Amino acid sequence: MNRHHDIFRLAVVGVVRSGLAALLGTAVTVSAAVQLSTGVDEQAQLPFWEISDTSMELRLVQRLPDQTRGFFTARGFSAAHAEMVAQSCVFQTVFKNKSQHGTPSPLTYDLRAWAVSVAGATQSMKTRADWKAQWQRLAVALPAQLAFEWSLYPTQQVYQAGDYNWGMSTFNLKPGTAFDLKVVWRQHGRAHTATIRGIRCAPDVDITPVAPP
Amino acid sequence: MNRLLARFVIVMLYTGAALAADTQQQTLPALAKPFRAPDFMLPGEDGKTYRLSDYRGKVVVVNFWATWCPPCRFEMPSLERAWARLKDKNVVVLAINVGESADVIFEFTGQYPMSFPLPMDLDGAVIKQYPVTGLPTTYVINPHGMVTHRAVGSRDWDDPQLMKALLKLKK
Repeated sequence: MNRHHDIFRLAVVGVVRSGLAALLGTAVTVSAAVQLSTGVDEQAQLPFWEISDTSMELRLVQRLPDQTRGFFTARGFSAAHAEMVAQSCVFQTVFKNKSQHGTPSPLTYDLRAWAVSVAGATQSMKTRADWKAQWQRLAVALPAQLAFEWSLYPTQQVYQAGDYNWGMSTFNLKPGTAFDLKVVWRQHGRAHTATIRGIRCAPDVDITPVAPP
Repeated sequence: MNRLLARFVIVMLYTGAALAADTQQQTLPALAKPFRAPDFMLPGEDGKTYRLSDYRGKVVVVNFWATWCPPCRFEMPSLERAWARLKDKNVVVLAINVGESADVIFEFTGQYPMSFPLPMDLDGAVIKQYPVTGLPTTYVINPHGMVTHRAVGSRDWDDPQLMKALLKLKK
C-alpha cells in the first residue's frame, strides 16, 4: 500500500454537536477519530488525499489535465470546451458511508458548504449548476452536457449505510495550485468538519517544444 | 513470549475479520417513503422496446449506468450472475444506460457480457423522473409497482443476502 498517515497535515476543525449545546454555541469539539492518509492511488498511480473515520471515507485523487481533455473530447466536447474543464483542477472523488460496519447512520453533504482556501482567499467549488449555466451559454450539445452532468460529483447527496459515489469534482483553480479544503458532512446526528491542508491540483504538461541546448 | 504470540494472533484475527466485513457486507437500504415507480418506455440496445409497466407483478431491479462509470463496471458481472439465478423467479433486471449510443453499449458488452435488457435513456429524460444524483444508482420495484429500495454505488448483486432480499419482495 502506497499510503501513509500524515496527521500533522490534517486540521480537524471540529465536530459540531446538534441540539442544545450547538444552540449555545459552545459545542465545538475536536474529533480525534478522523484521520488523513496521503500517498499514491494504486489504480490511478496519482497522488491522493483521504479522510476517514469508522463511518465514512472521502478520497480525492488527482486527475491530469490530459485525462480530462481526453475524457470530454471523447464525449462530444470541442477541444476549447474540454480545455475549460481541464484547467479547472479536477479530482476523482469517492465518498463512502461505511457505517454498516458499526452503527448504521445516513450521511449527508452539500458541496456548496465546502470551502477552498488558497493563500488566504476562500472560494467555493464549481458545481454541476455552475457548469450547466456555462455550457448552456456556450450552446454545448445536449449529449455532451448529459455526459458532463453525470460524470461530475453530485452537489448534494444522502448516503445510506453502504452507499457511495464516484465522480469528478472541480475546484476552479489552475493546474499545480496548492489549496486547503474544508469538508463538511453530517452523520450520527451531528455535523462534522475537517480541513485537509496542502492538496495540490495536478500540474499540466508543457507542450511547448524546447530547443536543444 | 506466549502472551506476545497470543496478542499477535488476536490482532491478526481482528484485522482479518474487519477486512472480511469490509468486502462482504452488502447493503440494500429500504426507502423511508416508498413511491410509485414512474413508468417509462425506452428503446433497447437490442432493438426491442422496454416498458416498465409490462413487468407489473414482478420484482424489477432498475439500474442506471454508463460505460465510462468505474463503479458501474465493477457491478455488472455480479448483476449478470444474479440475473442468471433469479430470472426464472419473477425477478427482472433493466439496466438503463444514460446518454450513450447503441454502438457504444454494444462494444461494451463485448467486454462485459450482459444478457438482461439494456434500455437506452438517450436524452436523460427517464433518469430525471427518478431521484438519481449519481451513477450507478439502483432502484428495486416491488410487484405492485412501488419503489421500495435504493442502492447508491456498486454492489455485489449475487451476494446471497442481496438475492434473498430481492426474492423476499415477491411476497
